[in-house]
Amino acid sequence: MLFKIAWRNIWRNKTRSIVILVAVAIGLWAGIFLMAFYNGMIEQRIRSAIESEISHIQIHHPEFRKDYDLRFFLPEGQSMVESLKKEAGVKFAGGRMIINGMAASAAGSAGVRINGVTADSEAALTKLSGKIVSGKYFSGEVKNEIIVGKKLAKKLKLELHSKTILTFTDHDGDIASGAFRIVGIYQTVNTPYDESNVFIRAEDAGILAGLPGQFNEIALLLEKDEDLDRVSAALLKKYPLLEVNNWMEISPEMELLVMAMDQMMIFYMGIIMLALAFGIINTMLMSVLERTREIGMLLSLGMNKLRIFGMILLETVFLVLAGCPAGILPAMLTILYTRKKGIDLSIFSDTFSSFGYSNVVFPSLKPGQFGMIMLLVVITALISALFPARRALSLKPAEAIRK
Amino acid sequence: MQTVIDAHNLVKIYDAETIPVYALNNVHLHIEKGEFIALKGPSGSGKTTLLNMIGGLDHPDQGHVEINGVNITAMKDNQLIDFRLNNIGFVFQAYNLIPVLTARENVEFIMLLQKRPKQERNNRVTELLTEVGLADKIDKRPASLSGGQQQRIAVARALATKPQFILADEPTANLDSLSAGNLLDIMAKLNKEEQMTFIFSTHDQRVIDRARRVITLEDGKVVGDEKRET
Repeated sequence: MLFKIAWRNIWRNKTRSIVILVAVAIGLWAGIFLMAFYNGMIEQRIRSAIESEISHIQIHHPEFRKDYDLRFFLPEGQSMVESLKKEAGVKFAGGRMIINGMAASAAGSAGVRINGVTADSEAALTKLSGKIVSGKYFSGEVKNEIIVGKKLAKKLKLELHSKTILTFTDHDGDIASGAFRIVGIYQTVNTPYDESNVFIRAEDAGILAGLPGQFNEIALLLEKDEDLDRVSAALLKKYPLLEVNNWMEISPEMELLVMAMDQMMIFYMGIIMLALAFGIINTMLMSVLERTREIGMLLSLGMNKLRIFGMILLETVFLVLAGCPAGILPAMLTILYTRKKGIDLSIFSDTFSSFGYSNVVFPSLKPGQFGMIMLLVVITALISALFPARRALSLKPAEAIRK
Repeated sequence: MQTVIDAHNLVKIYDAETIPVYALNNVHLHIEKGEFIALKGPSGSGKTTLLNMIGGLDHPDQGHVEINGVNITAMKDNQLIDFRLNNIGFVFQAYNLIPVLTARENVEFIMLLQKRPKQERNNRVTELLTEVGLADKIDKRPASLSGGQQQRIAVARALATKPQFILADEPTANLDSLSAGNLLDIMAKLNKEEQMTFIFSTHDQRVIDRARRVITLEDGKVVGDEKRET
């Protein structure tokens, strides 16, 4: 009966109830969509980082990542790559010769990471061949081909087929340099990456560095993200003397990014829930004040305070739950539509790409996140109902009945 | 006769710290089972305050009320709520039905609070609504019923739990003569047949004429207590 009374009570003032239902619906829609939007952004950023930049797992000499010193290479690199390609869960494996150096042109110079890569492996690992916006991928026909990022090309005024000089410290600690002809210009969604990474063939890098045929980094792309821990553990066991890092360890800023986004989401959800809470408090308080005499009557007849309290809470929860479908359905439809079409934010592309984000966002929402929003809404409703419920409980039956 | 209500030395003062107004001033009352009592007196004489004290809706500043030998003045709020639920029936001037419930649900509601079995509830609702002549309005909500009909449902609700007595605060004040007459007939019948004790606060001469005991209050004091045969 309490459920029946609570449900019918919320429809006594239809206009007021509909206003709060609309507020709940808009709040939910905004909350769910906002979460899906940010979630999509983060997922894309992580996917982009894994599939275009760092891969799932990297293997190095334990000392290499401290200073990127060329002395710390992987002596068995070639055979390791072949062995790793056969490892369960590994989709692609490729070796690299990573060198920190300078790229120079007539217009200036810039610090860059020189990625000495195997053309086929890199095309599979980072899809570099698909990101060429001008020129072509490595042909293998001539030596010293280089692919530079669009941002770096602009900075150093480099043009296709022009030359750039790469300078770095080689394996013996001597300065080494070489002229490289630009065969392609690539562009990713991550401008800072484009500005600081150039790609040459591993053979050319090895010869210049004094380590022909060697790798100092092996990158692995896995079949499934879920295999990360299992494969990492297997590799650590297989190569106990080497350093095996997953993408979060290689790029800790990614984890920070996820945390920062989570905090931002909490902040936004807090604002939405606060607005919702005030709406609920206002509506329910009005409802209680209007029914002072009725509540006095219920107390007089013998309805105890716990039941009165429960009735007000139930009314609030019903009110909010009634608004939920009206918020969830449009939110789901919006997410489904935008997930297919994407949200084009090209107008902000400079800002987005400087933080490594794509300017087309594909919102996505996990069931757990959806459940969390629902839970948050119900908790907000319950907390918001406490004040009106307390007000109802403070009524004295003899006075309330005469109001 | 069995004593149902014993009020001892009841005092209720409003605005005690500024200009004290004695709503009740040393009221003693002894009510027995089966009485049909009208509390009369001018506005502000203390009729409603006295009903509130007897019904455990308000606490006296002095004195106490015993219902069937139980001192309800010493009870805490939650104990009083339970006591009212199981011992006292209320009929209010403004009917005070739950507007979102039907006639059946309004009568059944109080039995639900007592956790009575469904079969018992159904039987009692049918019996009471038939008794008050509203068996055909069982699924109507209060808004679609007349004032007299609503008040009859309120009486049925008050009787639903088979209370020790019924307190009715100006029950006929909002009713026309015919409805008031019908209501009084029903209550008089219940009083006679079921020995149900009724206590009315009223200005209505029709109620006073039907009462078998008339208690007159003035300025918070009992100034008359007349028992009569009707």
